[in-house]
Amino acid sequence: MSLQRSITLSLACVSGGAVAAMPDSVQRNFVACPIVRDTASVPCWLAEYEGELYFLTLQTDVSAPVNPPMLGHKVLVEGRRTDKPRICGGIVLEPVRLSVLPALDANCNQLLPAEAQYNLTFEPPRPPGPSKGRLAFNTLDVQQAEVAPQRVEKHFSIGYDFEGRVGFKHPALLQPVLDYALAIKATSINIEGHRGAALLSDGTILNESPKLAQQRAQQVAELLQGAGLIGPRYTVRWIDAAPAPNGSDDSAQRRVDITIKP
Amino acid sequence: MLLCAVAVQVVAAEDDVLAPPHALYPAPKFTLRWINPGETGGLAADGSYDNNQGQLGVLNAAGAVTATGHPFFAPLGTNGRACVSCHQPQDAMSLSLDSIRRQWQVTQGQDPIFAAVDGANCPHLPQQDPASHSLLLDRGLFRVFLPWPPRDAAGKAIEPEFGIEVVRDPTGCNLHAQYGLHSAQPMVSVYRRPRPAANLKYPTHQNFGVSSFIGKNGLPTARDPQTGKPTSMNLMADARPPSLRAQAADAAATHLQRIAPLSKAQLDAIVAFEGQVYVAQQIDRHAGSLIEANGPTAFGPRALLKGEAGVLGNNTSRWVFPMEGKWTTLPRGASAAQDARNAGRESIARGHDVFMFRTFWIRDSMHLNSVGLGNPTKRTCATCHGMHMTGMDTANGWMDIGSTNLPWAREAPLNPWTTQKPELPLFKLTCRNDIAPHPFLGRVIYTQDPGRALISGRCNDIGTIVMQQLRGLSARAPYFSNGSAHSLRDVVDFYDRRYNIGYSEQEKQDLANFLGAL
Repeated sequence: MSLQRSITLSLACVSGGAVAAMPDSVQRNFVACPIVRDTASVPCWLAEYEGELYFLTLQTDVSAPVNPPMLGHKVLVEGRRTDKPRICGGIVLEPVRLSVLPALDANCNQLLPAEAQYNLTFEPPRPPGPSKGRLAFNTLDVQQAEVAPQRVEKHFSIGYDFEGRVGFKHPALLQPVLDYALAIKATSINIEGHRGAALLSDGTILNESPKLAQQRAQQVAELLQGAGLIGPRYTVRWIDAAPAPNGSDDSAQRRVDITIKP
Repeated sequence: MLLCAVAVQVVAAEDDVLAPPHALYPAPKFTLRWINPGETGGLAADGSYDNNQGQLGVLNAAGAVTATGHPFFAPLGTNGRACVSCHQPQDAMSLSLDSIRRQWQVTQGQDPIFAAVDGANCPHLPQQDPASHSLLLDRGLFRVFLPWPPRDAAGKAIEPEFGIEVVRDPTGCNLHAQYGLHSAQPMVSVYRRPRPAANLKYPTHQNFGVSSFIGKNGLPTARDPQTGKPTSMNLMADARPPSLRAQAADAAATHLQRIAPLSKAQLDAIVAFEGQVYVAQQIDRHAGSLIEANGPTAFGPRALLKGEAGVLGNNTSRWVFPMEGKWTTLPRGASAAQDARNAGRESIARGHDVFMFRTFWIRDSMHLNSVGLGNPTKRTCATCHGMHMTGMDTANGWMDIGSTNLPWAREAPLNPWTTQKPELPLFKLTCRNDIAPHPFLGRVIYTQDPGRALISGRCNDIGTIVMQQLRGLSARAPYFSNGSAHSLRDVVDFYDRRYNIGYSEQEKQDLANFLGAL
C-alpha cells in the first residue's frame, strides 16, 4: 500500500475580502453570531443580518439534516429566503447550510428567554426530553451495502462545512465507501480533495484555508486505511485552488471525491 | 444447600476492634466482606452485600463461582494482587473508599492494593506512610501511568496535537526523574477510580452506535484484535483497551505487575467470569425492596441480565431505566413503616422523572455540544445517559463535562486562611496552531487529567472521560473518574453547579435517591 500524492497547480485564488458579483436576491449568505431563543418546547436558532432576523433551525437531534450552531462561535449562514411563516420571529431560510467557524468569539453569547409570541405553532420533530422512540430524522442511518454489488467503478462525494474536516456527520458518509470497497475487493481508490470559497451577500468572499484540500484528501485516505481498507492502491490528489464562488452553491466545492475501482 | 456450601470465605471485621490510624479515615458503619487474593471458597449465584444505602445484589448468571484457583481471584503477578483486589463483589465489582480505608486499617497498609506501583501516589515515596497513599485513601484513586507521546495500537508513537506541561505536581510523580514526563521513558501519571467489572455485556456490546467510524468525530473505531470487529470503545476512563481480554492482559502487566503474559485459559476464565456477573442495588434503606414482584423492572441485578444490551432507551417500550410509571403515588396510613417506605419509593420515582424530563441547558461539553445538538442544547440527564439499563452512552462515550478540566473541576480553594492543599496534578496543554482550537476551551487548557487525549493525542479529547454505567452506585463511592464527588449528592451538586440547573432541594434529594437505587 502506498499513498501517491501529487500537488496540482494552484490556480489564481480569490482573496479574502475581495468584492465579486453579488448572489441572487433571495440568497442570504452572511457571517453572524447565532442567537438562541428558548420556547415552551425546543429552542430556536436565529441570526441577524442587515437589521433582519432569520430563522436558522430548531434544536432536534444528531440525525437532523441541519444541526444548530454554537454560541461562542460565529456561524456562516448560506441559505435562501422563503415566504414561509416566520418561526420564532425569524424569516425562514430554506435550504440553509450552517458552518460553525473555528475561532472562538465570546461576543456570541445571546440566549433569549421564551416568550409566548415566539412559541412554535407546530410540533417539533424532537422534544427536548424523551424522544418517544424515534430519531427526528433518518438521514444518518448507515445504508447497508448491497449483498453482492456489481464490480464496477463507483464515485462518492464527501461534503464539508466551511473550514471543516471530518466530524460527526462523516461516519454515515464514509461507511458506504468502506462497505463498497470491501464488497468488490477494490484494487484502487482515487481520492481528490477540494476546498472552496463562499460569496457573501455583501460581495465579500471568504476563502477556506490553504492546504485544506490536501488535508481533507489525506485524512480521508488515512481514515479508510485506519478502518481496515488497506488492500487497494491509493492515489491521493488535491486541487488547492478554490473555484470562484457564485453565492448559490458554494458549499458544493467543499468536498472530497472518491472513486472506487474494482 | 449448594449455594451455602460454596459461600465465599471472607474477612469480616467489626469496626470497633480497629483503631483508625489516621483521623481522616473514619471506619465505615457496617461489616465488610473483603475477598483476599487466593482465598478459597466461592461466590454464590445470588449474593447480597449490605452498604450504607441498603443492599447490593450480585448475580452470577452462570451459577455459583468457585474462587479457588480461579484466575480472577488468584494472585497472578508479583505484588500479590488479583483482579478481585480492585473489583470486590461487595463494592459492585469496583472498590469503595470505605473498603480501601478498611483494608489500610486491617493490614496496616500491607494489603496488595497499596502496592507502590499504583496504590501509592508515586512508587518512590515511603510506602508505610499513609500520606504516600493519600489519593487512594482520600479519594479512592489509583495511579494510571501512560506513555508520552501516546502510542497507537501497534505501539507507534502518535504525534499529539498539543504539548503538555506539568503545572502542579503534588505527588511528585510527573516531574520525577524516573517516573515523570521528562524521564528516559516519559510517562504521564493521572489518578483514577477502578470501574465495575460487572454488567459488562453493556459496555462491550456490538449494537447501536458501533461501526467502523467513531460517531463523534469520524475517526476509525478501535477494533478487537481477536475478532477484527469494531468495538464500542466504552471500556475504562479513556477507552484504551479494545476488549475485555486486552484489558485483562494490560491490567495483569501493570496493576498486578505480572511478568509473563496471561495464558489463553486464564484470559478465557477471567473474561467468562466478568461476562456473567451482574450487580445492582436491590434494597434501599428508605424504599425497602427494589425487586418486589409487580415493582418497576429497572432494579436489581436480574434486570441487567434480562436487559437488551447496546440500545438506546426509546422511552416508550424500552426506557433507559424502566419504571413503568410505578411508585408515583402510593397509599398512606397502613403503618408508619409502610408510609416511610412508600415515601422513599415515591422519591425514587420523582428522581427518575428528574433524570428523564427535567430540562436544563447543557453547554460547552465536548462531544455532546459538538455533535449536532448545538451549543447550548436544552435537554435532560437522559440525553447523554441514554443506554438502556446502564445510562451509558451507547458507544464512544467520552465527553468533557468538566470533572477534570478547569474551570469546572473541583479544586482546593487557595487562600491565606486554609490549610487545604491541591491533591491532584495540574497540566497545561497547548494545542498546536495548525489545527482548529478546542471549540469551547481554546488553545490553552488546564486539566487534572487529559483523559482520552492521552490515548488519541487529539486536542478535542482533552479532559474527556468515558461515562460510567450508573449501576451499583451506592456500593462504590466516591464518584467521577477522579473521585471528586464523595456522595451521590455531591454528583448532583456538581451538575447543578456546572450547568447552572437550579435544581430545587427536593429535586436534588430525589435524583440522588434514584441514582442510589440503581
